[in-house]
Parts: sequence; structure tokens; C-alpha cells
Amino acid sequence: MSENFVLEMRSITKRFPGVLALDGVDFHCQKGSVHALVGENGAGKSTLMKILAGAYQPDSGEIILRGEKVEIRDPRNALHLGISIIYQESNLVPYLDAAQNIFLGKEPKGRFGRLKSEEIYKQATELVSRLGVSIHLKRPVHLLSVAHRQIIEIAKSLSYDAQILVMDEPTSSLPSKEVERLFAMVRSLKAHGVAIIYISHRLDEIFEIADMVTVLKDGKKVASLNVKEATKTNLIEMMVGRPLSDAFPSRSSQPVRKEALRTVDLTRKPFLDGVSFALGCGEIVGVTGLDGSGRRELGRAVSGDDPPERGEVYLFGKRVSCKSPRKTIRAGLAFMSDDRKSEGLIMGLSLLENISLPSLGFRLRGFVINRVREKKEVAKAAESVRLDCGFLKREAQYLSGGTQQKGVLAKWLLMDAKLIVLDEPTRGIDVGTKVEIYHLMRELANRGTAILMLSSELPEIIGMSDRVLVMRKGRIAREFKGGEPTEKDILTAAMMGVRET
Amino acid sequence: MSLFKFLREVSAKRTTPAWIILMILVVFVIATSPFFLQADNIGNVLRQSVALGIVSIGQTYVILIAGIDLSVGSTISLVSVLSTGMMAGRTEMILPAVAMSLVLGLVIGLINGLIVTKLKVPDFLVTLGMMFMIGGAALAYTPKPAGLVAKPFATIARASWGPLPFSVIGFALLVVVAILILNKTTLGRYIYAVGGDAEVARLSGIQVGQTKLLAYLICGFTSALTGLFVASRTTIGDPTVGSGFELASIAAVVIGGTSLFGGRGGLSGTIVGVLIMSVLANVLNLHSVGGYTQLMIRGIIIILVVSLYERKRALVVG
Repeated sequence: MSENFVLEMRSITKRFPGVLALDGVDFHCQKGSVHALVGENGAGKSTLMKILAGAYQPDSGEIILRGEKVEIRDPRNALHLGISIIYQESNLVPYLDAAQNIFLGKEPKGRFGRLKSEEIYKQATELVSRLGVSIHLKRPVHLLSVAHRQIIEIAKSLSYDAQILVMDEPTSSLPSKEVERLFAMVRSLKAHGVAIIYISHRLDEIFEIADMVTVLKDGKKVASLNVKEATKTNLIEMMVGRPLSDAFPSRSSQPVRKEALRTVDLTRKPFLDGVSFALGCGEIVGVTGLDGSGRRELGRAVSGDDPPERGEVYLFGKRVSCKSPRKTIRAGLAFMSDDRKSEGLIMGLSLLENISLPSLGFRLRGFVINRVREKKEVAKAAESVRLDCGFLKREAQYLSGGTQQKGVLAKWLLMDAKLIVLDEPTRGIDVGTKVEIYHLMRELANRGTAILMLSSELPEIIGMSDRVLVMRKGRIAREFKGGEPTEKDILTAAMMGVRET
Repeated sequence: MSLFKFLREVSAKRTTPAWIILMILVVFVIATSPFFLQADNIGNVLRQSVALGIVSIGQTYVILIAGIDLSVGSTISLVSVLSTGMMAGRTEMILPAVAMSLVLGLVIGLINGLIVTKLKVPDFLVTLGMMFMIGGAALAYTPKPAGLVAKPFATIARASWGPLPFSVIGFALLVVVAILILNKTTLGRYIYAVGGDAEVARLSGIQVGQTKLLAYLICGFTSALTGLFVASRTTIGDPTVGSGFELASIAAVVIGGTSLFGGRGGLSGTIVGVLIMSVLANVLNLHSVGGYTQLMIRGIIIILVVSLYERKRALVVG
């Protein structure tokens, strides 16, 4: 049996100051198969894979590669052993172009070390077309979309001829079209004998693409099973250790009260083309659409981050100028961006300082900061999002994604925001925290807060919204009542719109 | 239990390496030279620290918002010649000269801040250009040392209260006020936020431009204050007296643990950085090390210390 395993990790243990990240974890995978690794944030998935990739050294345990015991000293060593890992965070040099990034470190050279540019572009074009996409190879990558940057990272890994490919949340920023192409690529890699380790929170994808799945919880392995024998429910139960009777809290049946937000003919070419809709207090409206439909840009326009060229926005009945975040914040709007690391939190400050930041100009206002009051109010806000107060003193950069997201939410709750715009509120967050956030959203709505949720995750759009707005080509293509649409209905509206009668 | 916790917290603080180096230096000099601990030598070291100390306070504010001010030295020179020229030995002109100098410092800070925030020119370039302009203005005003302070004004830098010079007491008070502003006020928190991540600060509703502007204003003010102090100490105006202060103040700030990228560090570190530089100069003097060699040693220390700070601690949870 062991001969089939290209990789065996036995009894891996890893300790960090103050936390036992991995506790005797066993993991193995076969050639030409896809093995999914799931678990809540902090369960140890990333740590296990970083050990495999040579970024960390295990405290005890052994790694057996192709039947031989090995020591993976550093990432370069791992690459030479045929192990390649694609991280969630972008590992590209922003000002170099796609082709240069793909061949970074192994540029084909001629005599005297001269770079063979035509060769680089030729091979890069080939690799990228294998993924079925077209990317501007000569543009500096910081100008490309997140989805394209991920594709470049995958192409980069492919160029190393890896035998074991680890993918950490590869689809979190990919539109559905690209996900299918990615899967096609994964299947063809499988056929070529590559073992793929797939870390993801998206259970749907795991059931579609994986052969085996291993569940980690609190640094221990809970189970390894064949995907055919697993169900979503029991996987989630294994991850969180509690029965998952209702992930989505029930919708409110109260009639909508006052109007919280109304937009009229909101336009910013080419993304927004005359968007008009309204949102009432106590309502959760979900906005979805394919990438480029204007879904994401709607949030940026309404919040003042990327002001619209034309159109009007009314907050609680009053016309508001959306020229800057400061103006919309003063009018009572809170905007949670989809990128908490670079737009939600200041990594070098403590969580407490982050949470109190906007409130220093309002509730906690004063030339001298009243530290006692600050601590009290922040603790209250933290409690309301079920955030452990022990995290408040730590620097934001050292906290997990779920904790960070709760911190951002707490920040806006402290501002008493009556209108919250959430962009991808649960992206990259573990299942347990996701459920908590859903319940929090519903609680807030029941207390009168208006919530505008922009999301590309259809299950949460369907499960959480009182109303669903589907965007296409910068306009609202179709509106559904909560609970009505199926994923197919939404995708149809997103891709084909509604024919004008 | 609490000793262990204390040690752990101390080793996590950003300014600790600076303190350690200062302590090593002090121990070394006490061990190798009997002259260090003499009252007038210590008084001297402290007095030498005041000038650099005052201007480094402003530089700390600017570096914390991820900026830099290269014009401080020229401001010191300009204030030196203008204030002494205005005073020309007359006591009744002390107050007008002081007022004019401080206003001048604020105006320079305002210009620096406005160009950086409104015209979006990188601070390095703006303050570099201002350095040349202001320095040129000082030389144009008087190419050679000239001017005279009034007698009472000259005593500011010299007077002592027993063994403690007035200037050091005044400096200590200034430091306390500046530290309180940074740690206890909203402005201080905004400075750390803007320096840590200006984009996130903007999205949180903070007026980033205004915060940066205030930092440059404060820096201009402290530069002018330093110019006045230097004028009192030398009693005449010298159009090149400030030269070198810009780099020395940056060195003090950085040695003290404040990151050039902004958002991390603080004033207590800067003060230690200033002391390190003064004690170092004193040590080398006591051992009769030549001026040029001293510069080389200073450079080595800067590199060593900063490389200690930029050691990355990879401690990620979850």
C-alpha cells in the first residue's frame, strides 16, 4: 500500500511560542490524485503545508517522499524535490510583467548570461494558454486583476514540473469561468501523475475535484476519507465539532421600515451604468453578479472610495456627496472592503487601536484619548461580534483571517453605523466564524441596521438575503425575493440578463 | 513569574536594542575612562544632546507618518542668521526675533506639508529642494558668520541650576510634552495610523493630509527652536551651522527604533538614539579618536543597529 503513496507525512508536530500548531498529524497522498485538506482557520492546514514546502521545520515526525525519508531544509530544496506550493497571498513582483514573473529565477539564458527574451515570452504564452486564458504578458502584474495574478502564479508552479502541487485557496479570487478552467487543468495534471493537495473552504469545489479529503481540527487529524463516502454536513461537523442544523439564520418576516439607502442612476463608466435601487432599515439585500458586472464597484461608489461620475445617493433620506470615505462615514455609512489586509486593518497597530480608529473622531472624540473609555467601548464592540478580548492587545498582522474580519466588523459597529456595506464578508474565513458572522448580520438587521451584502458566494447570497439583486454589465439585471432563486436562476440572470419586454 | 513576563515584554518592545546599546556604551566608557563620570563631563554630554534632541523630536513625528524632512538643517541655519541679525545685540529685540523665528519654522513646515499632501510630491524630493533653497537663502543673507545675540539670550544655553543646565531641563519638559501628545492624544494615534497604513486610515475616515501636514508643522517648529538654541549657544549667526543636522536627526530617530517606513517606534527611542550619539562622541573624544574616524565609527554603529531592528520575527497564529 505504501508504494502508491508519493508522499507520507508521519506524526508531524510543530510548536510555536504559546501554541501547539500541529500535534502528531499523519498525512499521505497518492500519485495522480487530488487530496483536499480542510479545517477551520488555526486548524493547522497552512502550517502542515508550509512544513512540506520547506518554509518551516517540524519539531518531530518524518516526511517520506517516494519511499525515502527526506529532510526539506528550505523552499528551494522543496522545489528541487518536486514540491511546489501556491500560496493564498500573491508572490509576484508587482512591477515586472507576467512572463518575467513566471520565469523568475530560472530565466533561459544565452551566452554571457544574456536573457533570451523571445524564449521567455514564447514559453510563457504556452503555459498560460494551457490554462485556457489570455493575459497581457507584457503588462506589469500590479495592473492585472487578482484573478489573473493567481493564474500567473499557477503557471509559475507548472513551469517547475512539480510532482506534488499544493494549492492554498486557489479559487478565492477567481470568477466561476476560471474555476472551471482551473479544474480542467487540475484533472490533466492528475492524469500526468501529479499529486495535488488542495486546501479550500469551498466544499462544493472539493466534492467536484477531490478524491480524498482530510479534516484537521485544532492541530490534530480528525479523519481522512474518500470523498465519495463524505457528505458536506458531516465534514463541517468534523471541522467545527458541532451539528450544523442551521448555518443560515432564518429571515425576518418584519415589513421594511424607513429607507436607509437609495441610489438613482449611479454611473461610473465602464463599471456602473445607471444603477438605481433602495435598501430599507432592517433589510439585508444581497448583490451578486459575475466579476466585472459592477457588483464590487457598487460598494466602492456608494462608500466614496471611488466616487461615481453621475447619479445621486440618498442616505436616510438625505442626499449625500460620495466624494470621499470621510463624507459617507459622517453620514452614517460603514464599508467593509473585500481586502481586509490592505484596506481593513492597519497591520502594525493592535486590534484595539484598529477597532477604535474611526470612532476617535466621533464617539471617543477628544484631544486626549480617554484610554479607559476606549478600552470599555472596544471591549463592548468586541463582545458583540464574539471576539475574544484576549486578541485586542495583539498586533493585527498576527491574527487569523476570521479574527481580523470580526475586528473590522467591530470597528464599524463601534461607529454605530446604521448602514453597513459588506464586500465578500466571509472570504477566506473558516466555517465556524462564517456561521457566527451570518448570525451577527441577522441580529444587526433585526435591530434595524440596513445591510448591503456584495458577494460572489451564491449560497450565502441565497441564504442570507431578504432581496437579491443580480448585476450584469453595470446594471441591475434582475431582482429576486429572498429564498426564491436557485443558484441556476441567479447565474442565468447574471449571464443573460432579462429581456426587456 | 512576573520577572519572566517583564523580560518578555521588554524584549518585544521596539526600543529595547537602543537601550541595550546605550548601556553597553556607558559601561564601556566608565570602565575605560576615569573622566566620564565627572560632573562637568556629564553636563557637557547632556548639553551637547539638547540641540540634536530638539530637532530630532520633530523628525520623529515626520518619520512616523512615513515621511522625512531633509530641510531641518537649513532651517536651523536660516533661523540662526536671521534671529541674530534681527537682535544685533539689542535686548528689546529678543522677543520679536524669537517670535519671527518660530513663525518662520511653522511656515517652512507648512510649505513642506502642503507640497507633499496637495501636490503629491515625494517628501524626500520636496524637503531636499527646500534644503537647498533655505540654505541658499541663509548664505545670501550673510555668507560669513555675523549678527549677535543679546546678552540675556546668550545665557539661556549656559545657565545652570546647580549641576543641571537649564537647557537640559527645558529639553526634558519638551520631550515629556511631545511624548504625551504622541501616546495619549487622538493626533498621536492618527499619526501612527497614517504611518502604519495611510490607505486604511483614509478608509476609516481620517483626514490623512491634515495629519501629515501637522507632522511637518511640528518638525518646522522644532527646527526653528533648535536654531534659536544654537544661536544662544554660539552667540552669533552662522549660515552653515545647521549643516549635518538633517542626517544626524534621521540617524538618531532610526537608531532609536523608529521605522523609516512609518507607523512603528516612538520618541523615547529617539532620545536614546540622541544619547547614544552624544555618548559615543564623548567616548571617542576621551580616547582622543580623530574627527574623521569618529564619523566612520558612527556610520558603522548606524548600520549595525538598524540591521538588528529589521530582523523579522515570523510568528503567525492560525
